[in-house]
Amino acid sequence: MIGKLLRQPWVFSFGAAIAVWLATIAYTGGQGAGAILTAAFSFATFTIIVGLGQMMVITTGPGNVDLSIPATITLSGVVAMKVMDEDTGRMVIGIIAALGAATLVGVFNYGLIRLLRIPPIIATLSSSFLVLSAAISYGRGIRIKPPEPLAQFAETQVFGIPIMAFAVLALSIALAMVLSRTVYGRSVLAVGQNSRAAWLAGLNVDRTRFLTYVLSALLAGVCGILLSGFSRGAALNMGEEFLLASIATVVIGGTSVAGGRANVPGIWGAALFMYLLVTMLNTFGASAGIRLILTGLMIIGVIVAAGGEEQR
Amino acid sequence: MLKKTLACTIALSALLATGVAMADTKDKKIALSNNYAGNSWRQAMLKSWDKVTKPAVEAGIVAAADPFTTSENQVTEQAAQIQNLILQGYNAIVVNAASPDALNGVIKQACDAGIIVVSFDGIVTEPCAWRIAVDFEKMGASEVEYLAKKMPEGGNLLEIRGLAGVFVDDAISKGINETAAKNAQFKIVGSVHGDWAQEVAQKAVAGILPSLPEIKAVVTQGGDGYGAAQAFAAAGRPTPTIIMGNRQDELQWWKEQKDKNGYETMSVSIAPGVSTLAFWVAQMILDGKEVPKDLTVPFLRIDQDTLEANLATTEKGGVANVEYTADDAAKVVAGK
Repeated sequence: MIGKLLRQPWVFSFGAAIAVWLATIAYTGGQGAGAILTAAFSFATFTIIVGLGQMMVITTGPGNVDLSIPATITLSGVVAMKVMDEDTGRMVIGIIAALGAATLVGVFNYGLIRLLRIPPIIATLSSSFLVLSAAISYGRGIRIKPPEPLAQFAETQVFGIPIMAFAVLALSIALAMVLSRTVYGRSVLAVGQNSRAAWLAGLNVDRTRFLTYVLSALLAGVCGILLSGFSRGAALNMGEEFLLASIATVVIGGTSVAGGRANVPGIWGAALFMYLLVTMLNTFGASAGIRLILTGLMIIGVIVAAGGEEQR
Repeated sequence: MLKKTLACTIALSALLATGVAMADTKDKKIALSNNYAGNSWRQAMLKSWDKVTKPAVEAGIVAAADPFTTSENQVTEQAAQIQNLILQGYNAIVVNAASPDALNGVIKQACDAGIIVVSFDGIVTEPCAWRIAVDFEKMGASEVEYLAKKMPEGGNLLEIRGLAGVFVDDAISKGINETAAKNAQFKIVGSVHGDWAQEVAQKAVAGILPSLPEIKAVVTQGGDGYGAAQAFAAAGRPTPTIIMGNRQDELQWWKEQKDKNGYETMSVSIAPGVSTLAFWVAQMILDGKEVPKDLTVPFLRIDQDTLEANLATTEKGGVANVEYTADDAAKVVAGK
């Protein structure tokens, strides 16, 4: 039983998250143990949302990655706040507009990849410049406050756990089911393992990848809306830190970078680990340089530990 | 009749006189090389540039004043951009640099090509360029000095720093820490990097807050005060005195607190309109005026009694700003 559990690549990210948390509260003498976890769940949810999208994209095969996630977060946040204009009655329109904009980004991304045959890494990077420029010219750096219900949804907690985390948990379970039970989900895995074999087996490779890029953009859109509710306003640099975070959570979480193998629980462990790691180093009072070095080393450590078990 | 003619002649000669003074730069072209546009401060900076340089171009003071921004905050990209500007024949380049020393090579190329280079905000160390710098250390020190006056009994401080590895962050932090060391009643019990962004600051503060004792005040670098306030509220802790950084959302929050419970703080940052000062300085140098290589601009400070006036003139989502006129620039150059 334990041996079986240890073979799961996601165990390591959770183990690392717990170890880091214990080290932090050992340093503070137990002070703030619960509050640190609450904060971790609040902030990790945003990383989890985009991490799930990135995981799906990476799973569709080598070379597939979505670098436009930060720009899409910013665009959807700006569109949502501007359309809602602090008016509760316009919340639904704002959400639809923001998700619509995000969907367009996804469609555009795959258009570049498929029709113009640009490698995904270049296509999504260049589209992110266009998307960010669109957000800048549409928003002009404006920080409009979210309507009160949206802000409250993003902030409400039950027993110290934000309700947003429960919503994202439901989303994660749904996505795990999609991956293992539906034709689309299994196609994603099959295409990622060998796209030619999947094509010969009669799977629609293009449609699978297209849907995946749209899904990733859509999740980035959801993240943008929630994030602007949580931090009470959209800002032009709100998505910036999610580029590395989205990829790192996927890799640390045990999803295969070569594609074909996804790992939903690992995203949770990795997102919590990444947040708690920064918290720990901040609490220890480590300087920025040491913090970056240690972050790098620990990420490598977790990947090596998890990767060793992967080669079965 | 005679009087009228006389008046006309005087007016005409006055016009001619100014015309002559301007004539030296009327066919000169100035370019702005900017390394980043992705936050409200930079947006305000570009807007100020447009607002001041467009009328200047229309009035024939200079032939062109074109802004150029690189998409990624990268030294290599900005170096290539400046090389292009040299080839395009600009007479002066006003630059907000991605790095104080990594662009020195290309800046030297520009100087050798006879181009005037004026750096501001993100200044360059190449000796042939002019520098319009803010005394960031003094800015950091002013925050602690304000707190020392406001709360003589002292207490614990939380420091929010900017982007690690940028010299501005080091300079402000140095000013804060040195002044805090001089005022022994203050103790900096925690330090996090907020990257001058509300979301990042909120996240970092929320993470470290549970492990900290009571915080009396938060010293910041601008663009992070509102996020810090959110983090304190979310953790259910009493709101400390948070030094603000002139962003509209920060000032708005301060105003709400002030109306509610008389909350007191101060706000300090560098005005984005410093780009317009750099423009006028470049124009003056092109005009053949003697300008020292190192200039210092005052930072823009907002206090309890000037809050409303500044909030009223700051647009939603923007940064409190001042734009400079040619006269202001002349005063800065004269060291006044």
